[in-house]
Amino acid sequence: MGIKKITELSMLLALSVVLNMVENAVPIFNGLMPGVKLGMANTVILFVIYAYGFKEGIYVSILRVVIVGILFSGLFSPMFLFSISGAIISMMFMFVFKKIAKLSIIGVSIMGSIGHSIGQILMAIVILKTISIIYYLPWLILFAIPTGIVIGTLSKQLLKQFGYIKT
Amino acid sequence: MIKLLKAMGLINMNSKDFKLITGLLILAFIMIILIYIFKDNGAKAANVYYKNQLVLTIDMTLKTTKEYTVSGTNGDVVILYDNGKIKVEEENSPRHLCSKQGWISQSYESIICLPNNIVINITGIYAIDTIVK
Amino acid sequence: MKKLINQNTIYIFISLVILLLVFWLTNNNAKTYETSFSYMDTYINIKIKHSDATVANEALKEAERIYKEYHELTDRYNAYEGINNVYYINNTTQELYMIKLDAHLYDILAYGKSWYYKSNGIKNINLGNVIDVWKKYQLTKTGVPTNEELTKAGSIDIENIVLLEDNYILNNHPNIDLGSIAKGYTTQIVGDYFKSKGITSYIINAGGNVLVGKKSADTSYNIGIQDPDDSSKVFKVIIGNNIAVVTSGGYERYYEYEGVRYSHIINPMTLFPANLYKSVTVICDNSALGDSLSLILFVLPIEEGKVFIKDYPNVEAIWYTNDDQIVKSDGFNKYEQ
Repeated sequence: MGIKKITELSMLLALSVVLNMVENAVPIFNGLMPGVKLGMANTVILFVIYAYGFKEGIYVSILRVVIVGILFSGLFSPMFLFSISGAIISMMFMFVFKKIAKLSIIGVSIMGSIGHSIGQILMAIVILKTISIIYYLPWLILFAIPTGIVIGTLSKQLLKQFGYIKT
Repeated sequence: MIKLLKAMGLINMNSKDFKLITGLLILAFIMIILIYIFKDNGAKAANVYYKNQLVLTIDMTLKTTKEYTVSGTNGDVVILYDNGKIKVEEENSPRHLCSKQGWISQSYESIICLPNNIVINITGIYAIDTIVK
Repeated sequence: MKKLINQNTIYIFISLVILLLVFWLTNNNAKTYETSFSYMDTYINIKIKHSDATVANEALKEAERIYKEYHELTDRYNAYEGINNVYYINNTTQELYMIKLDAHLYDILAYGKSWYYKSNGIKNINLGNVIDVWKKYQLTKTGVPTNEELTKAGSIDIENIVLLEDNYILNNHPNIDLGSIAKGYTTQIVGDYFKSKGITSYIINAGGNVLVGKKSADTSYNIGIQDPDDSSKVFKVIIGNNIAVVTSGGYERYYEYEGVRYSHIINPMTLFPANLYKSVTVICDNSALGDSLSLILFVLPIEEGKVFIKDYPNVEAIWYTNDDQIVKSDGFNKYEQ
């Protein structure tokens, strides 16, 4: 990877970390149910995926979770484990739905959001040893649709801005 | 204003996305319906776990209002029970996420209070079948 | 590309329909049947899971009939026309040498009497005279009987119950009280009856006596033990199949005088109510055995109790002490989560 790329990715990584922590500090939806969030950091991840590629997306995604873990929630704490499984499943979903199903960026964003929720729920079930958490899934799917649209739209605008998408 | 937003939004989505969204909506609603159909109305109890150990079980079939206190990682956690529903009333945590989660009463609902390592489950499928008095 | 999404949605639909079908099919095979009634001063609730509605409903009816029968046989406060029950045995003025009993009553008396010897006198079904004294004080709550009152109350000699051949009992005017074994004994009879009818999945809850069958091929029953201090709470959940869970405690029937609680479980040695613990719960494979053991353990110190149950296979116990400690027998954790 060239220095230019590393620098760019590092700045994006920092941005995603900041967005993550901003979201944690201003919890809007937390009264509803656990795991509910806007996912602003995903804007950056989407940007990276479309601008650079999936490999880079994985780097930034995982590193973001690790850094937030070190700074904020504690490395290997439950929150960290939820985030990392969320990030992994989210990346998997986004890969499948971008490459194979060839969805638009909005669709990928929505599926990424759903993947993140699924990852978190699965990890929560394992750690907390209660299967009842799975009942939140339909609601998280519903919630993923509007947030996915918003984040996806944001990402698309950014990609256009920087010339990665022509329209 | 709305037209402007719509114009912005719509440009970014194509028919595939609408199909996806429709499919997801249907999926979610079917899941919700399934959950409601198989909702267990049998003997219910609320299980309170601290660090994955069962510390308290509350009989949810009683018609009373009561407070229960358990120890969480950050101090006492007060649980309020009222005629078949339960919520976390007071707890020490940075953003009081547990008490904000509100009432739960069905076997598919739970209150997860990570800062205090407390999980409250309503056992429906895993119900207490009977109580020896 | 449009087709791809359509295909996916179709797959999702199909799998959900299949899921629904599976749920519906597995739930339709066995249904739950329930009944409740009151006998032996207890609210009794029975739930059966069985595939045949007729068999299940008949079994429930028969269960009620059995409880009614034993309720009348063991009743020491009421007479029933044509039935030589405990009341009759204790109170008859007829000048008979011996009384003919129904085989069921004879058997439960023999069973109860045998426990006197097995427990070195702790389980005594001829304790009626002393129990009556305490009942008087419980009603009026004016105090506590004196030792003299209790020792002069009448014989509690187990040998006063003389069982003769052919289901006869000597008309010796004992004062039999079967309160401490009737429920467990009857519950076991009902459980055995269910098994004989091919009903394997059942919950019989007779208050402090619970007897369960097998919940299903791969699940076990969750049985909660009530917190002695708070009837809305459960302090322990036991997981098991084909077990009897019996609790003895002083918290449901007692009276208080000058700050001291007097339970209804009388220690035949001291003639006073036992109050070593708030409750003792026994888990074993037979409800009648559980009834006897839980009473004995309620009267014995914990260490002696632990030794006592070692003579009986597959028995575990849990004590809830007066200072809110929970003590378990050695093998208890096989019933825990």
